[in-house]
Amino acid sequence: MLAVSPFRSAIDGREGEMENFLIGDGDFLEFSGGNLLDIIDFDDLFVGINDEDVLPDLEMDPEILAEFSASGGEESELNTSVSVEKVEDDSVKEEDNFSGSGSSLKQGEEIVSTRDESVAVNGSPKKADKGRKTSTQAKNTQGKRKVKVDWTPELHRRFVQAVEHLGVDKAVPSRILELMEIDCLTRHNIASHLQKYRSHRKHMLAREAEAASWSQRRRLYGDGATGSGNKRQMSPWLAPTMGFPPMTPIHHFRPLHVWGHPSVDQSLMHKWPKHLPHSPSPPPPPRPPTWPLAPALHPPPPPPSDPSFWHSPHRRVPNCPTPGTACFPPTMAPMRFPTPSVPSIGVPTTPTGQTYSHTPLIDLHPSKESVDAAIGDVLSKPWQPLPLGLKTPSTDSVLVELQQQGISKIPPTCA
Amino acid sequence: MGDSSAQYIHMVQHLIEECIKFNMSKEECMEAISKHANIQPVITSTVWKELEKENKDFFEAYTNSREERASEMETRQKIHKMLLDSSSSKVTDGDDDD
Repeated sequence: MLAVSPFRSAIDGREGEMENFLIGDGDFLEFSGGNLLDIIDFDDLFVGINDEDVLPDLEMDPEILAEFSASGGEESELNTSVSVEKVEDDSVKEEDNFSGSGSSLKQGEEIVSTRDESVAVNGSPKKADKGRKTSTQAKNTQGKRKVKVDWTPELHRRFVQAVEHLGVDKAVPSRILELMEIDCLTRHNIASHLQKYRSHRKHMLAREAEAASWSQRRRLYGDGATGSGNKRQMSPWLAPTMGFPPMTPIHHFRPLHVWGHPSVDQSLMHKWPKHLPHSPSPPPPPRPPTWPLAPALHPPPPPPSDPSFWHSPHRRVPNCPTPGTACFPPTMAPMRFPTPSVPSIGVPTTPTGQTYSHTPLIDLHPSKESVDAAIGDVLSKPWQPLPLGLKTPSTDSVLVELQQQGISKIPPTCA
Repeated sequence: MGDSSAQYIHMVQHLIEECIKFNMSKEECMEAISKHANIQPVITSTVWKELEKENKDFFEAYTNSREERASEMETRQKIHKMLLDSSSSKVTDGDDDD
């Protein structure tokens, strides 16, 4: 955010932290006046300050401005240190002046603004910058302009901490401000951010609840269907039927682990394929639901300055849900095969096609008729490809084995 | 002659694979194939064993899944039994007091 940390430390401090100023000044001393302007990004400094709250105090600015202009004119060729010291002195004076007025926030702003001004003024002939700063200052004096706050993750984290401390519903912007202890924020900034946060939270909680109810239902169905919710991944039905090569579908279950509940979530996932894209990924277990994730699925209606920021105070939107949700519709729907042997439970379906070309359901107790039919089929159409495609053993080894069993030739003459 | 043997073996393999689709065990296969295709169980069994050698992983998984299914069935049956017992005991509860 800010290019210059010394500034920040000075700003963040309350009254009487002029020491920081000194330190900052020390840094200043290292550079010649011209370089300062290159290094320091003044716009950042003005972010978060200079809104209407500061109005009354800015009245002083023109005076200071005039002062500095004068000194700047004189000292343009002098050492920066001199001018800085002057600034410092003036700032100290200002602080005394303002100590009784308003919040320290304003004072901080004041210090910053004047300091900046002095630097700008005392800097090398960067008239543009100076002009810019001046104009900014001028705007500030008018006080109508609202500077956008850059809600960084760190900033937001502190905000959340403060809110949690107070209680979301009871959190009042002024209290939050106090807790956050960031001078460049105003009550107004906090208030609007709080509003967004609350609306976002509501959304997230609603999604969470929805997801929870889904998973609960799934679990119920799953338990009913299988009687044991464990090892669904093995999917005993799938392995043999689908044959050797297509073992892969079983692996597809793994991503589900990431996404949702360890057990059973596969059991009827295909049942709600439509819901999958909509249902938020429930926040992965380790993540505390202070600001639940469910990113990308539901950005808050009025997108904040940094939309992705909302989704994760701690880190940027991970792609976690995306693969999760992506996994589902394509892989789950066809793949999931609810226990076929429990027709009593209204478990839907037949998987959609996939490899179950000729045996739609695996029979727990294969009916004699169906077996007979299948065998008859093989006998009558021996040219058909092997259903499982198992590797054929070598003829010789089979024959050898058979001879050991007492069968000399095949097809045997006597059945 | 070798050709026909290979063909025969191929046919038996085909039959076995069909039975595997039905989740049958080796013994079940032997019985069914013998019954419906008139193939001596020993032949089926031999071919099965050879297939198993050639396709170890598959058969391993197949066996495991069958076992799991069996245990699952068992569990389910137990649960059903429990449910039945509990529901029936509820019915008889009223008769306790005389």
